[in-house]
Amino acid sequence: MVGIDRRLLQNVDWPLLGATVCLVALSATTLATLSVGRAGTGVALRQIAWFGLGLIALLVVASIDYRRLVRIAPGLYLMGLIVLLTLFVFGRTVSGARRWLLVGPLSVQPSELFKLCFVLMVVWLLSTRWAQPVGKAVLVVAAPLALVPAVLIVKQPDLGTALLLFPVLIALLIAAGMRLRILGGLVLMGLAAAPLAWIALKDYQRDRILVFLDPLRDPLGRAYNVIQAKIAIGSGQLLGKGVAGATQSRLAFLPERHTDFIFAVFAETWGFVGCLVLLTCYALLLLRGFDIAASTREPVGRLVALGVTALVSTQVLVNVGMVTGLIPVVGIPLPFMSYGGSSMVVSMMALGLLLSVRMRQFQ
Amino acid sequence: MNLGYLGGPMPGRPDPGRRRVLGMAIIVSVALLTIVCQLWYLQVLEGGRFQEASDKNRIRVRPIAAPRGILFDRNGLPLVDNRPAFTLSLIPRELDRDPVQRDVTLGRLASLLQIPFADLQDAVAKVSPDSILPVRVRRGLSMDDVAKVEEWKLELPGVIVEVEPQRAYPNSRFAAHLLGYVREASDEQLKGGRYRRGDMVGQTGLERLLDEFLRGKDGGERIEVDAMGRQIRLVQSTEPHPGAQVITTIDRRVQEVAEKAMEGKAGAIVVMDPRNGDVLAMVSTPSFQIDRFTGTIDRNAWLRVMQDPNHPLLNRTIQSMYPPGSIFKMVVTAAGLQEGSLTPSDRVTCTGEFHLGNWTFRDWKKEGHGSVDLMKGIRDSCDVFFYNAGLKVGAPAMAKWAHAFGLGTPTGLDFGSEKPGLIPQPRMSKKGKPMSWHAGETVNMSIGQGQVLVTPMQVARMMAAIANGGVLWKPRLVQRIERPEKGVVWGDAGSVTGHVDLSPMVFAFLRQSLWAVVNDGGTGVAARIPGLDIAGKTGTAQTVANSKSEKGQDHAWFAAFAPVKDPEVVVIVLVERGGHGGSAAAPIARQIFNTIFLEKVAFAAFGG
Repeated sequence: MVGIDRRLLQNVDWPLLGATVCLVALSATTLATLSVGRAGTGVALRQIAWFGLGLIALLVVASIDYRRLVRIAPGLYLMGLIVLLTLFVFGRTVSGARRWLLVGPLSVQPSELFKLCFVLMVVWLLSTRWAQPVGKAVLVVAAPLALVPAVLIVKQPDLGTALLLFPVLIALLIAAGMRLRILGGLVLMGLAAAPLAWIALKDYQRDRILVFLDPLRDPLGRAYNVIQAKIAIGSGQLLGKGVAGATQSRLAFLPERHTDFIFAVFAETWGFVGCLVLLTCYALLLLRGFDIAASTREPVGRLVALGVTALVSTQVLVNVGMVTGLIPVVGIPLPFMSYGGSSMVVSMMALGLLLSVRMRQFQ
Repeated sequence: MNLGYLGGPMPGRPDPGRRRVLGMAIIVSVALLTIVCQLWYLQVLEGGRFQEASDKNRIRVRPIAAPRGILFDRNGLPLVDNRPAFTLSLIPRELDRDPVQRDVTLGRLASLLQIPFADLQDAVAKVSPDSILPVRVRRGLSMDDVAKVEEWKLELPGVIVEVEPQRAYPNSRFAAHLLGYVREASDEQLKGGRYRRGDMVGQTGLERLLDEFLRGKDGGERIEVDAMGRQIRLVQSTEPHPGAQVITTIDRRVQEVAEKAMEGKAGAIVVMDPRNGDVLAMVSTPSFQIDRFTGTIDRNAWLRVMQDPNHPLLNRTIQSMYPPGSIFKMVVTAAGLQEGSLTPSDRVTCTGEFHLGNWTFRDWKKEGHGSVDLMKGIRDSCDVFFYNAGLKVGAPAMAKWAHAFGLGTPTGLDFGSEKPGLIPQPRMSKKGKPMSWHAGETVNMSIGQGQVLVTPMQVARMMAAIANGGVLWKPRLVQRIERPEKGVVWGDAGSVTGHVDLSPMVFAFLRQSLWAVVNDGGTGVAARIPGLDIAGKTGTAQTVANSKSEKGQDHAWFAAFAPVKDPEVVVIVLVERGGHGGSAAAPIARQIFNTIFLEKVAFAAFGG
């Protein structure tokens, strides 16, 4: 039911919320430092406004019993697919990508919201009577659930978001008790299909992988982002350069510094020590998520909590991994840190799901 | 869906799912630790190396100014064009950090190019020392200057020469008021946030009116340079988008002839097509050297223009108001005939003087015109006839029809501070009698004196209405605006702002008598061209102010159109303190008609 009774409130996960508030505060300060001495200090304020909106979304989601949401998951999933399809017709093109849909004055990124629909859908599938025990047959149905939207999202093109769906799927399958041997076989098959994928990739996406393998291939061309980000992070050293000294970020050497590369800005400004604080916040958040999943005995709740945690974990790891040069660049925003309304609201809704499970786990 | 089947581990029984979740938590923790290790490597172990790389990051942002849109005349001839010009710029971040060293560089530059040292310091002080965007210091460098800077390049860190498109004009004063000048955005304009420092912005005329269209979208390049400032590699580049092309209604040939005819005189010319309101020429003199305003004008030259007693910046076609003088007699005639207070057969004997109470009003012709009817009154511009006529018609009717002809209201040219003119309006008492209004004012008004004030553009609009049977067109300067890739982005099909409801008989009478002014020994005979039926009216407007002009105090007017049947062109000429309209303004109109109808006239002259 939508109403929240007292018992539910007692089980709110305060450390989880605390870590989130810290992250958003760090995001807003970082965005604010980027606009020091420039017009448009509004970015930081808008990020806080998104957070506010996200908080409302979180409360709404948390107040609904997650089981109800799982029950309507197929409908949500289908609606999500339809919206992704309509993007090709009504989508707004920004720098070559049709990722945005205009809703009144706002441009919304439907693929962000779709990620949650996807988690709920997979949980729905895995909790049907038909799926017990979770075996190869389930895989045959689950794989297209991820592949179809992934293809639509890749076509936007938004490789990063599309790739996200697979680790989440695998994590859910593992948690639902699929035999690891089957999953191992799946991964091997995936590796075998890699050459095919290479052919399907766009030139710039291949470039990114090549550049990752060898940054000096083309230092001022495709690798520009990677090298500038590394310089920014590295030059932050132990204690950071402070707001005024962060030349890499403030002089606009860094591309996409408000969004995908915001971690580099933070690392340059606050150094290794700052990064430790930031990563601790994330660790707290993610481990709390796993804790909720582990301590929930109700299987649907466990799967929802795990799916959401896997989603956020993958985003954090992939984003920070790419900015620090550990993996190739795929465009994924850093949850709670990167500027953007869709990302913020959806991340908050993900937290809402976690809280919803937590609050009801002892019922 | 019934979840009961899934069941769940019973309390107290082993829970394999839980172990798997914890396993995944461990994987994520390990990944986080790997990231921490990578950060330790980048920031602590290799931090110094990256710090150095960050300091040496010599990326330059090189804006590529979009060429401003070109303005064309109605036949596709350019009114203004662009040519490449050299601009001296400073890159704050590459100037020496040490203020003393920096001033040495600036000082060297100042003496090399004879730029005031303070100007350079001002330019640098206005922006952040961290900025990698070039600050433009001086535009329009000569080839010599460019050579000097290149020669001393090594001693001038942070100083660069850029190539930018700059306005080029057919000649220095060509259509200066119409086109308007382009200058760097002023501090005030920068506050609006629409412009960047150093952006060229249209400040007057069409350049200002259409600035949004004419301004293209600047492109830019991100290049890496070595310590000597040489380009190593292009990192990123965005093409500039040139501004839109504007097709005006101006006829460059007519504009040039009109400007030439006004050389050395102060005044205005408007040439208009009465069929659609197109402005074919718009001249205001004295003019200013429009190309000297572009780029960096030195302060003294600017002050000289601003303080010039002849007000060269004033666009006299719309921003100056003049008494219309005898031109106003057309309004009086129209009002009288339409309202029935005048008839063509009215006669007055002109002795050169007119008495009203104790006042005496004189005719411009001392000895008088003798017996005068309405047609002759217009033809010879007999003042005494119109003193009488004015009293018969009355001030309210004159004002009413003056307003009907668009006098007293701006023409709507959106051209910046257009003056509305003035038609005095006697306030009426309840009994319908004019209040605090002297009959002498009516007498003055009837010959376009007293408080009556008009702009040349208003007279053009009125004359066009007489020529085309009463349609008041909004003057049109711009036909359309086109973008290379998008086609027409803005168009003006012309708009009618009013209609003068006079009977066709009245229009016919006016045209007939205006024809007589030029072709039947009237005051406008100096405009006559054999083979072309020109109709016109002279005006000689007395002014109150004193001037040292040798020709006297009077403004000379000539308002005309041709051919009388199916008029194609209206020409308005005003010469400030030029003397008589018939002798000072009519010959200028003649030259313009001559140019426009050159072929037709030649055809007639050779017996066609």
